[in-house]
Amino acid sequence: MVMGHGGGRGGFDHPRLRLAVLAMLVVGAFVALFSRLWFLQVLAAPQYRHLAKQNKVRIVYSEPPRGRILMSNDSVLVDNRASLSVTLDRALLKHPHRTTVVLHRLSRLLHVKVKDMRARIADAALSPYKPVPVANDVSQRAQSIIAEYHEHFPGVGIEQIPIRHYPKGHMLAQPLGYTNEISAAQLKEPYFKNARPRYQPGDVVGQSGVELSYDHYLRGRPGKTRLIVNSNGDVISRKTISHERAGNDLILSVDPHIQKVVDTALRSGIMTARRSGYTASAGAVVVLDPRNGHVVAMASYPWYDPSILANGVSEKDWKLLTGGPHANPDVVHPGFNLAIQGGAPPGSTFKVITAGAAMWSGVASPYTYLDCPASKVYGNQVFNNDVPYAQGVMGFPESLEVSCDTFYYQLGWEMQQRFGVTGYEGVQPPTLEQWGRQKHLHLPPGKQRFQKYARLAGLGHPTGIDLPGESSGTIPDQRWCHEQYLATRHLFSTPTCNYGWLPGYDVNMAIGQGDVQVTPIQMAVTYAAIANGGKLFAPRIASAIARPEHGQEKIVKRIKAPVVGRLPLDDQELQVIRDGLKLVVSSPKGTAYNAFTGFPLHRYPIAGKTGTAELLGTKQNDAWFLSYGPTTDPRYVVAVEVQKAGFGAVSAAPIARQIWEGIFHIDHNARVGSLSQGGFG
Amino acid sequence: MAQGLFGEAVDHIGGEPIAARMARRAPIRHVDPVLVATALLLAAFGAVMVYSATVHTQQAAGLDPAYFLKRQIAYAVIGAILMVAVNLFDYRHLRGLAPLVYAVNLLLLFVVLTPLGTASLGAQRWIDIGPLQIQPSEIAKLSVILTIGAYISLRKGEPLRLRDIAVCGAIALVPAALIYLEPDLGTMLVLAAITGAMLWVGGGRLRHFVLLALLAAAGTFLVIHMGLLKPYQIDRLTSFMNPHPNPRSSGYNLLQSKIAIGSGGLYGKGLGGAHTQTSLDFVPEQQTDFIFTAVGEQLGFVGAGTLLSLFALLIWRGLRIAAMARDMFGTLLAGGVVAFWAFEMFVNVGMTMGIMPITGIPLPFISYGGSSLITNFIAVGLLLNVHMRRYLAP
Repeated sequence: MVMGHGGGRGGFDHPRLRLAVLAMLVVGAFVALFSRLWFLQVLAAPQYRHLAKQNKVRIVYSEPPRGRILMSNDSVLVDNRASLSVTLDRALLKHPHRTTVVLHRLSRLLHVKVKDMRARIADAALSPYKPVPVANDVSQRAQSIIAEYHEHFPGVGIEQIPIRHYPKGHMLAQPLGYTNEISAAQLKEPYFKNARPRYQPGDVVGQSGVELSYDHYLRGRPGKTRLIVNSNGDVISRKTISHERAGNDLILSVDPHIQKVVDTALRSGIMTARRSGYTASAGAVVVLDPRNGHVVAMASYPWYDPSILANGVSEKDWKLLTGGPHANPDVVHPGFNLAIQGGAPPGSTFKVITAGAAMWSGVASPYTYLDCPASKVYGNQVFNNDVPYAQGVMGFPESLEVSCDTFYYQLGWEMQQRFGVTGYEGVQPPTLEQWGRQKHLHLPPGKQRFQKYARLAGLGHPTGIDLPGESSGTIPDQRWCHEQYLATRHLFSTPTCNYGWLPGYDVNMAIGQGDVQVTPIQMAVTYAAIANGGKLFAPRIASAIARPEHGQEKIVKRIKAPVVGRLPLDDQELQVIRDGLKLVVSSPKGTAYNAFTGFPLHRYPIAGKTGTAELLGTKQNDAWFLSYGPTTDPRYVVAVEVQKAGFGAVSAAPIARQIWEGIFHIDHNARVGSLSQGGFG
Repeated sequence: MAQGLFGEAVDHIGGEPIAARMARRAPIRHVDPVLVATALLLAAFGAVMVYSATVHTQQAAGLDPAYFLKRQIAYAVIGAILMVAVNLFDYRHLRGLAPLVYAVNLLLLFVVLTPLGTASLGAQRWIDIGPLQIQPSEIAKLSVILTIGAYISLRKGEPLRLRDIAVCGAIALVPAALIYLEPDLGTMLVLAAITGAMLWVGGGRLRHFVLLALLAAAGTFLVIHMGLLKPYQIDRLTSFMNPHPNPRSSGYNLLQSKIAIGSGGLYGKGLGGAHTQTSLDFVPEQQTDFIFTAVGEQLGFVGAGTLLSLFALLIWRGLRIAAMARDMFGTLLAGGVVAFWAFEMFVNVGMTMGIMPITGIPLPFISYGGSSLITNFIAVGLLLNVHMRRYLAP
């Protein structure tokens, strides 16, 4: 036994025993270390491997230039221009004091509020690996000052950022829409969520108009770069996973010449109405090609210049465009596209619907003749004609020509009697007690042929145009009336429809008054169907997706307006309506005859219909004029609406005339067609 | 020629020729080759790891990638020379020299605190001598081992009285107090562990240890609640208990350390691999206190296990030498050295894996640092000295 010392002592005091105790402690320590090592490196290794990857790998997306938007002759409506942006390096933000100093200095230089810049920095939607843009479109002078005194602007950079540029100003402002950074809410919407490649926070996307509806084409494909970063956030290596690909161009079916004519005519028409003492708060024009359902021109006044939104949408801009959260619903704001979003009673332009419904339902035929007295009495209510004298017995063409209201009251009344929503074929209408008490009234479906025809003709539901935010309009029926009653019965002393659906409602609807509401695009679609033999289109304002190649646009995809319905009328039935519409313009008795005096109708035959919807309690009307031409081979439908103006024949028809003159290149000042050059061979 | 009891010439003892007996007992024949080999292997392992942990950050900074490697090798060479030098004389001479060593060490610890000392990372721990930096707190570990060993061996194997324990405590406390001022909490704890282990091996009574434990508990309580520790020190000591740290805290560093080791898996990511936790600088102090994370990440369970096994071998040889020593002083020296290594190894490795508090304790032989490496080699030398001379007369 090797034993140097202490051999004399025994028991617990022996040094070797005490060393053994020490040794056991050491063994315990090793057991602890080995088991912990086993846990970390074998049992928990996958989890830690994942965390290690999260530590170092960052994916950064680069936004490609957005596609341009062109008109049918490839002239540019929207493209991109470089904006000088002031950016802040994220490294600077680690020093709060220095950030404050720099922000205040920038604020004085750029006249941007520190608060606004801080809001941009704090925006969680921005990529943490790109410099934060705090001010856009800075002046050259500011740029050179920052460059010259860069030591006073640590972490401040100047970057060229592509922003939207609108060389045509307000032209087509609302249909084009605008772009802005995608919001957190938008990222969750199916339109953005299901798109591939995925949208990323910070992406600039369309917020309205075709910028929104064709965003998938315009956005292009973002570049994807994989970064390896160290603990400091420094980029150690970068690898491009996919290159960015510029967005496709969008070509609209809009004809630049006609669009320009439309803008001028609408503006001057509204100014004329205002000089005549009307409010003329807003107006809209749609020009549609009835052969293919494409939008040739579209305007909604008041309009705005989208350039103000190119640098991002501020609260002020938003208020200007939409009136903000407490907007007055009676005021049309510039961001509102009256052509597709406004609902208004169509007045007598609706008579083509009533005529069609009467022939389709069987209460009338193309050869029906009805009296046109000064007034009619249904139940205990008197319904007056437009003019205070009787106009005699007439057929469909003449009823449209002179716009006889009593003629159409009679048709509405008869449809109500035979196929209406109350008291037909032995079915009892709901009693007033049931009307008010029951939440879900069991309503006999009824045939409601008048309403059904109006829906078949494209009203009461969106047309399906390729623009977001289209409104449905209203074709009132019993169910709608009940819903309105339930919604308003606690609001007003006399709620809407508080007597249930009354037969008079159908009589009133027959001349486009009351609760019926339509949009200009809906009316344009239904008049296009009359002109083209019955085809109802879901209109398209875009005609193609293209890529610029060797200075020319190469079509990638053509966009066609689908036919979504057909007027249930035969040729004879359509023909009497068309005949009437022609007389409106050409016959001396026609309501639009005066408006088209001197127009070369023999060369460019136009058909149309005036409409005047009285606004309750005011001396102002919604003025309408729907027209198509040339009647021999209809190429255009022109729908004009002016809100809070005079009669359709006075406030709307002249605008249409100016547009037709523009379309056919007729010099307004020259006499009858002498200088008409363009036209149709 | 030796002379017998009656003046006769003696050339045999117990039937063995004296020359043969002297040769058999010659110290040089009793070198512990396993200990030497283990120490050199550990030092080589450490040099490789120091290089692997620093090469990327050095390259990224445009500096000499082998800077740390070269220095660590130089320290190892100096250490190895000192290891041999320590064996040129009988360790028992150190018993007499211990007070001198202790005094010089105290002086150096004092100098550190004067403007002659240099500070780094908020702690003043070094003295610059030309191109060299020495860290007297490292030397303190050895000087305390020597001094306590010398004191206890005066008791000639008698059980220690309370007074002896108090004296030994004082021997450790004076340098510990100076080290506290640097501050260097880790070294204080190492000194406490060494003192405790040596008192135990030297014959401290169980009831005295109970008393010491109570004192230590009370002391810890007072230290924390009297503000003797800075907030960051408390944060570091307690962060290993918090599994969800916030970034920029020491707990975050610990999480990064665990991620590094855990992501190494069974076989590791390979020495010097790019884009690792280590090379991307996610782990703090990765060539010094946290070097075990580089081992775990790059060499995996296999490599880290091998390293721990080398430590087990080292500590086993130390315990064996303590048991075989020819006198109490030798046993105490060896026991102190074993306690020193075992404590540092356990606390350091445990810290990187989140089972021990974060304290600035290096991993013996592996962590980058001259004073530490040289001290470790001198400690090996002391063990070898005790081992070689175990057959000489007590």
